[in-house]
Amino acid sequence: MSGPRNAEDRLRRLLVMLPWLMETGEVPLAEVARRFDMTETQVQNDLELVAMCGLPPFIDEMIDVFVDDGVVFVGVPRLFTRPLRLTAPEAFSLLASARAAMQLPGADRDGALGRGLAKLAAVLADAGIATTNDSDDTAGVVVDLARPELTDVLAESAATGSELAITYFSPARAEMSSRAIVPRHVYTDGGNWYVVADDDRSQSRRTFRVDRIESAEATGRTVEVEATSPPERFFDDVDVPRVTIRFGPDARWVLDQYPIDEVAESGDGWVEARLPVASERWLARLLIRLGPDAVLVEPANENPAAAAARTVLARYGEA
Amino acid sequence: MVDRIERLTNLLALLLETSEPLSLVQIASELDGQYPDDDKARRAAFERDKAALRDIGVPIDTEIVAGGPYAGQTRYRVDRRAYELDDLELAPDEMRALQVAVAAVRTDAGRDALWKLGGALGDEVPPVSAVLPQRPELPAIRRAVAVRAPIEFVYRGERRTLDPWGLLLRGGFWYVIGHDHGRGERRTFRVDRFEGGADGIEVGSPDSFERDPSFDPRTAFPADPKQIGDTADERVEALVRIDALRAAAVERELGADRVVERGDDGSVLVSVPAGNTTAFRSWVLGLLEHAVVESPPALRRQVIDWLAAVAASDGGTVRR
Repeated sequence: MSGPRNAEDRLRRLLVMLPWLMETGEVPLAEVARRFDMTETQVQNDLELVAMCGLPPFIDEMIDVFVDDGVVFVGVPRLFTRPLRLTAPEAFSLLASARAAMQLPGADRDGALGRGLAKLAAVLADAGIATTNDSDDTAGVVVDLARPELTDVLAESAATGSELAITYFSPARAEMSSRAIVPRHVYTDGGNWYVVADDDRSQSRRTFRVDRIESAEATGRTVEVEATSPPERFFDDVDVPRVTIRFGPDARWVLDQYPIDEVAESGDGWVEARLPVASERWLARLLIRLGPDAVLVEPANENPAAAAARTVLARYGEA
Repeated sequence: MVDRIERLTNLLALLLETSEPLSLVQIASELDGQYPDDDKARRAAFERDKAALRDIGVPIDTEIVAGGPYAGQTRYRVDRRAYELDDLELAPDEMRALQVAVAAVRTDAGRDALWKLGGALGDEVPPVSAVLPQRPELPAIRRAVAVRAPIEFVYRGERRTLDPWGLLLRGGFWYVIGHDHGRGERRTFRVDRFEGGADGIEVGSPDSFERDPSFDPRTAFPADPKQIGDTADERVEALVRIDALRAAAVERELGADRVVERGDDGSVLVSVPAGNTTAFRSWVLGLLEHAVVESPPALRRQVIDWLAAVAASDGGTVRR
């Protein structure tokens, strides 16, 4: 629970909280806090503050709200009875989320999302997001979350707690493995799909790339459904080793594609960056693809690329 | 001096309820004791408050008095109709669907929007979710798409003017597709490569262009992402042998119609567009020892030479 920080954030939150309170009338403080992602103390302080606000001469035209014994009460609803219109970023975020949700496996089967979005058209127009005279006002934003075929099977398993027998290609070891997993959460990030699952082989919760799952079949075993959030990304882990690489102008795309700790421009078009490394093979693959456009600076004496390149050359009959 | 939130709330209430636009002098007199007495300090404090209110989305109208003793004076008010959110009358299932959507694509702005609509995120974690890249440029571009206004921005060090036809999220990146004035044809740009961020985008006048009614960002997108901003020779095709370990995955990626031949050992021979040599090489080398270029010979030679150079770099200690 982070809660709002500065005066602007606090006011922003108050302007959505007040109309909701006025419509609801009487709510436990704890519920207000949970709903608006604040602590009870934060809610209480802010409400006590706005209770002193209103219109000059600040006698009777006041915001009629008070907290008593852990419950928020609203007297006569006046001032800020309606929420503030959506800002352009809010409207965009809502539109993009709805567009994305329509693309998720198993989503919006009954069309309620589409109907809700249609009703939102006027609001989106308010925020300059759509023009009301457009018949399909949201046509200009398309979210394409194309997914591997098996994604739907995995999502269904996560929703039902079904165990699956899968074959998985592990790029770090360049081998296939067979394992039994219970999917817990399926998500997409950066154009790839992942499944968080309880893995029998490692006896732990692991994240698998869906496009590396070659096959999946139900084992017939089901366990209790346990929803979980997407994991912290591997690169947030401080234990993951880091390397420093100098990237030439043609290799700059790497900076967009992969998580980077630090970047320093060197003025000649090259940049030096520190980045986490998923595995040695991953690093070798990256350096081979970049060739002369990248130089491993640190650790310079542990460059896996040359050996990996010789392995590939052997396939060409050249090593 | 009162708390800043208190003053901001009082200011907003005053500007919303006033029947006439108010000057700063009138505002300060109504909010007695809340603004500094000194003219300069008062103006500075008011400007900060005004900016804060606008920042959270409050539409503040200003008008300049035309004649009389106060000619030239600026007066302020908030138009209630512009301030308040329209009542949407969302049905319960529609609200639930929006809540599910925002829960599956968690963003602060989406959560704030949901609050304004009277909904909220529950504690429930959906079984499926998506991480969408957040870019500050997007609302401005989306607005330009909606009102058909051209945008100007700097891309790869060059100033571009574009009639934006649509925004597309694909492969984890946002793209804007439209008619490039300078090139005189359709172009695709990656939004996160705009130089200068959201402030670097200049939006022109609305209704400046007509979008082709048959336009669909999905099909307008270049088939080879490396083509973005450029064109490439699409006629060059390479034959690549993919070993059994990666055959199924590559077939899924390219489509079964790209498979030219199936080997007894489970390998496949696939035909791949190779007009853009850099993109092709990067793709084929990404498969490491699981892919071998068979033809055309020149391309095969290039890949071998590239690999040989990396193999010879042993240790990679050579610094440029």
